[in-house]
Amino acid sequence: MATSVPSTPSRLGARVGHALLYVALIAGAGLILLPFAYMFSTSLKSLNEVFSTPIQWVPSELKWENFSTPVREHPISRYFQNSLLVAVSVTLLNLLTCSLAGYSFAKFRYPGRDLMFGIVLATLMIPLASMIIPLFMVVKSLGWVDTYWGLILPAGTSAFGIFLMRQHMKTIPDDLLDAARLDGSSEVRTFLYIVVPMSKTALSSLAIFIFMWNWDSFFWPLLVTTDADYRTLPLGIALFESSYGTNYPQLMAVALLAMLPVLAVFLILQRNFIEALTMSGVKG
Amino acid sequence: MQTIQPATSYLSTGALVGVVEPSRRRIRLTQAQRRGLWGMLFALPAMVFFVLFAIYPILRTFYLSFFEYSVVDPPVYVGIDNYRGIIGDDRFNTSLLNSFRYVAFTYIPVWIIALLLALALNTRIKGRGFFRTIYFVPVVMSWVVVSVIWKLIFHRNGLLNSMFLDPLGFAPKNWLTDINLAGDAIVLMSIWKELGFFMVIFLAGLQAIPSDLLEAAKVDGANVFQAFRSITIPLLQPTLLFATVIGMITGLQVFIPQFVMTQGGPVDATVVLTLDIYQTAFFFLDGGKAAAMSVVLFGIIALITLFQFWVYKSRVYD
Repeated sequence: MATSVPSTPSRLGARVGHALLYVALIAGAGLILLPFAYMFSTSLKSLNEVFSTPIQWVPSELKWENFSTPVREHPISRYFQNSLLVAVSVTLLNLLTCSLAGYSFAKFRYPGRDLMFGIVLATLMIPLASMIIPLFMVVKSLGWVDTYWGLILPAGTSAFGIFLMRQHMKTIPDDLLDAARLDGSSEVRTFLYIVVPMSKTALSSLAIFIFMWNWDSFFWPLLVTTDADYRTLPLGIALFESSYGTNYPQLMAVALLAMLPVLAVFLILQRNFIEALTMSGVKG
Repeated sequence: MQTIQPATSYLSTGALVGVVEPSRRRIRLTQAQRRGLWGMLFALPAMVFFVLFAIYPILRTFYLSFFEYSVVDPPVYVGIDNYRGIIGDDRFNTSLLNSFRYVAFTYIPVWIIALLLALALNTRIKGRGFFRTIYFVPVVMSWVVVSVIWKLIFHRNGLLNSMFLDPLGFAPKNWLTDINLAGDAIVLMSIWKELGFFMVIFLAGLQAIPSDLLEAAKVDGANVFQAFRSITIPLLQPTLLFATVIGMITGLQVFIPQFVMTQGGPVDATVVLTLDIYQTAFFFLDGGKAAAMSVVLFGIIALITLFQFWVYKSRVYD
């Protein structure tokens, strides 16, 4: 704030304000990072050093086996693969269903369209918890408990995604689509070669959100899986925690492993992450 | 869903304008009708998912809330007994209260700190991209991972006690097993986790404010606080409204921290609505009661959303 008023008479005051602001921002950043530092430090400790006071940030001996032992002895890599498979499949499905439905609601006229879109919007405010029992029964009656189908398909579309795509596709000029049709382009072709390329930003925002949410998905997998073979990573970690929760170094190592892929994706794509959020928040 | 059927009724409304060559097909469609059919076809996949995995389960929840239903046996109609039951249910009242407390204690500080952060980072300050990234990191972390880390931080010999309380001469506290502290501990963690999200939302809102407006105010002799009160805050209103509603809705649905860190304990001190619904349905096998609780949760969230629409219409788009 101080820098926004560089021409105030008391430049010294502005400078002091500026310095204080920096100190506050750095202290805040330190507090944000502290839990991660603690996790990393603990993950390399031996059991008897976990609770030494004052905190021993650098372990006397780096115990890398805290990482390898749980991975060897528990199906961590299986959880990892499950999470990846589920999150990627759900993301691809959503890109397809949401972009098609968004296009339909934005650019076509037919009876019942506004009613359908209204219903989609209404479900935006319905919490998953409000429908878990019947949803579980649906999945059970389809024989999908402990299958990938049960994990993936119920998340196959999203009201948020349809809304995001519709808002974006409304901005594509009708003239452009009509011109393509006049040139003899089929509806499918128009969608694939004009609408999709023009929606790249919205699609990548959608992909980031859906992937992030489903990588983190916990509640639904908790209900629909009983078999360790189909557990996702967050569920696996919670399970590991409840049975090996006192082996803190190993627990922190597993948590760190689970965190790394998301962190890496975020650091590489951080601009897109923040754009995605901005887009959904401010325009929505 | 009426997807194919309306096509015929559509035909009967006449308006066969761009008459197709009469000999080719039995059913003749105008260009507009053909396009409408394509539109329906495009919406179809999403609608199939919706009906099966959202609309039907929601309607069924309403229906089940009037039945006694053990999830195993067939439902038995009991009228409004489930609703009557939850009104007098101590645990449900506790979880309702806990949910509201969680929302208030987490999100009010989050909104305030996030707004201050956004204001600080919306200047030409050096390293603002760096700070933005750091503050945003907890947002992309999974709630389960975060809960597991913080469970250790809150341990009697963990980071919080040994780094902050001990040096100041306070006795270590049992953050997660003390009835009076467990709720606050989860709130503290949630503030840390949610801060970055709202910071970015507010930053986006601030960046949308035209800078010449603020410049003009400065030229007119307004100081920073006057400009903030009469320009920034009014123009930020839609963003503030969005943040408020998103915060409340997310907060009311919180589940993972309580599930992983305390299981609702000690003695129901951290039981929240979603956890209560889950346990009622899948541990106490009382599907009817859980459905009634779900309807109440839905009702609260619907009210908040409608309130948002109402405020939005009456104030922002005057």
